[in-house]
Amino acid sequence: MLKVEHLTKVYPNGTVALKDLSFEVPDGEFLVIIGLSGSGKSTLLRCINRLIDPTEGKITMDGIDITAAKGAELRHIRRQIGMIFQHFNLVKRSSVMTNVLSGRLGYLNSWSSTLGYFPHEEKERALAAMTRVGIADKVHSRADALSGGQQQRVGIARTLMQEPKLILADEPVASLDPVLAHSIMQYIEKLNEEDNVSVICSLHYLDLIQRYAERVIGLKDGVKVFEGLPSEINRAKFKEIYGEEAQDMRATALV
Amino acid sequence: MKEKTSRSRLVSIFLSALVPGLGQLIQKKYRAAIAIFLAVATSIAVVAWYGKPAWYILPALIWLWNIWDASSLPGGKNAVLPILLWLLMAYGIGGQVTEFNLRALVENSKRSKDIVSAMFQLDFTQPKTEKKEGFTDIQSPCSATPPVPDRTVNGVRVYVVEPCATVNQTITVKGEGFWPNTPTLIYWQNPIGGKAMDAQVKSDAQGNVSLEWVVSPYVHSTAPDPTVPQIHRIKVSQSRPIGGIELSDVGGYVVQGIYETLALAFLSTIVGALIAIPFGFLAARNLMTGNPVTTAIFLVTRTILNIVRSIESLIIAIIFVIIVGLGPFPGMIAITIHTVAALGKLYSEVIEGIDSGPIDAVKATGASWPQVVRYAVIPQVVPTFTALTIYRWDINIRSSTIIGFVGGGGIGFFLWQWIVLQDYRAVGTAFVAIAVVVIILDFFSARIRERLV
Ligand SMILES: Nc1ncnc2c1ncn2[C@@H]1O[C@H](COP(=O)(O)OP(=O)(O)OP(=O)(O)O)[C@@H](O)[C@H]1O
Ligand SMILES: [Mg+2]
Repeated sequence: MLKVEHLTKVYPNGTVALKDLSFEVPDGEFLVIIGLSGSGKSTLLRCINRLIDPTEGKITMDGIDITAAKGAELRHIRRQIGMIFQHFNLVKRSSVMTNVLSGRLGYLNSWSSTLGYFPHEEKERALAAMTRVGIADKVHSRADALSGGQQQRVGIARTLMQEPKLILADEPVASLDPVLAHSIMQYIEKLNEEDNVSVICSLHYLDLIQRYAERVIGLKDGVKVFEGLPSEINRAKFKEIYGEEAQDMRATALV
Repeated sequence: MKEKTSRSRLVSIFLSALVPGLGQLIQKKYRAAIAIFLAVATSIAVVAWYGKPAWYILPALIWLWNIWDASSLPGGKNAVLPILLWLLMAYGIGGQVTEFNLRALVENSKRSKDIVSAMFQLDFTQPKTEKKEGFTDIQSPCSATPPVPDRTVNGVRVYVVEPCATVNQTITVKGEGFWPNTPTLIYWQNPIGGKAMDAQVKSDAQGNVSLEWVVSPYVHSTAPDPTVPQIHRIKVSQSRPIGGIELSDVGGYVVQGIYETLALAFLSTIVGALIAIPFGFLAARNLMTGNPVTTAIFLVTRTILNIVRSIESLIIAIIFVIIVGLGPFPGMIAITIHTVAALGKLYSEVIEGIDSGPIDAVKATGASWPQVVRYAVIPQVVPTFTALTIYRWDINIRSSTIIGFVGGGGIGFFLWQWIVLQDYRAVGTAFVAIAVVVIILDFFSARIRERLV
């Protein structure tokens, strides 16, 4: 179980990105974070795996304090938390295989893996992960030779290598077209259901929220303005989260 | 109100007359105050150092202008006049000190024409020749029992009719068994191997050579005591073309020098690049500013790189020539050091410019620092690093040429000697060879870099 208590993040330039945010994520839950651009979604997800250091507050996973962890302990925590990015964040010039294998680095000897050595069973594991997301035929391609949807599947395979307890997905489908978006969301959903991995995912489109979320948290200017079931999001709530002038397809999808 | 202005004006005028710029200072014209003070101070200092009192007129005029300027505060006067005065001082004195003399450019045109035309007669190859040579030893000055000056080698006989050589007397040198009707060089070698005299004759139809030679006092110029008999040598040689061409002596040195220079540049680029890589990472802001310890390392590394980079490799070379002696080695050390600093800085900029996405992604998997560098940073930087390194090799070829001038080996070293010896044909040859090599390598390195980036 992930527990976020009184989380506050103030950037060095004074921007308050998160303000006294608290919530819990029970094991195996699919939690969706919504909110306008700039509302603090990425900041929140990055605080959870400490790509960003929170200013105040405490985050614990199964009772272990993430916010206080350092060095090897922090890396130990990170390897249990997978992360999927909007822009995939693959190493473009490396092969798909190397990108997927890099998901395993937290488990491997630092020096031998730095020299480029991966044990045979890790390569098998990588192939299995790629097969699971349907890109086994791309093992030797360079990452930037793949389409957007394929690249995001490489990202998911990389996360699978971590055997994570929790997956953080920061707008995983925002750079993909709607059909691909569903296919990627389904892979994440499958991980959530089959492997009992908790998922915290930020999303923009209401149809995706209604279809995949178990629970939704709405952020506005770093403050939690909504917490509840996806079915509770009506037009009024939506306006509250997205502001009066919300006129795009998110709103029209509600009618 | 009005009274107050005029009083403060008088104060400024007084203060400016006392110390240039002081009046401007109390009127809060800080930049003008500093500029005026520096202008007067520097021009006085320069004139004092130059030692010709007449020039004090210039700082004095600037001083006067400064008082005039103070009188019109807070508006101030246009600064064109003092700037012109200061420049007049700088250029006037500077020009006299460096003895610049435009007429020299024209007066010496005859000499420069000779030099330039020699430079265009490249001395790279020569016709292949074969040689016929003989020699005999001869004593000078004479002792009681001089050895007989008559020697036959490979059927070529060289002898002197007189038993030994006395200064200012005539000897008769004869040779037999040479090629007939061929120009022949006769050459006097003193006991330490230097040339003392030479003469040109022609062999007759039977292949005999004969020369009446007055022995010059110069043959004893290297002898510690010219009254002690010593053995000298007279060489007689012919050469004739046999068709085909070969590298001339100068050509041989040019090839050797270019080869040395390329090898020197190549080695120091490779070694320098390898050493520069860790420095590049340590000097990269985005990797190192995570915590106070690494930030300190970052600052120190970056400062060192900046300082070393600003020292001309020529200066480093001179230092190492003094420490390790002449030759390619000090040149190599100098270029390597400069390469480390220059590439280290460039590498760190490449690293700072990379996409942080993959770094975040690999960090998020729980990877350690070396793993992040290996899997997220290196793949992104290798192509640019390679391109920069090749570019650096280009630069290093040029600077290793220059470094030869201070004794750093390679073509530059030969070039320097030829300039000193005024062998302008060799100088021209070296110039052309350097230009050709640089152009060819430029072309290829541009091609390779294009493909990498
Ligand atoms: N490195 C940073 N330094 C300063 N301010 C930042 C930084 N990163 C984000 N911010 C600010 O923090 C606030 C929250 O940003 P965040 O990226 O978390 O929003 P988001 O909800 O993910 O937005 P989006 O939907 O556009 O991705 C914004 O106002 C942003 O400008
Ligand atoms: Mg974001």
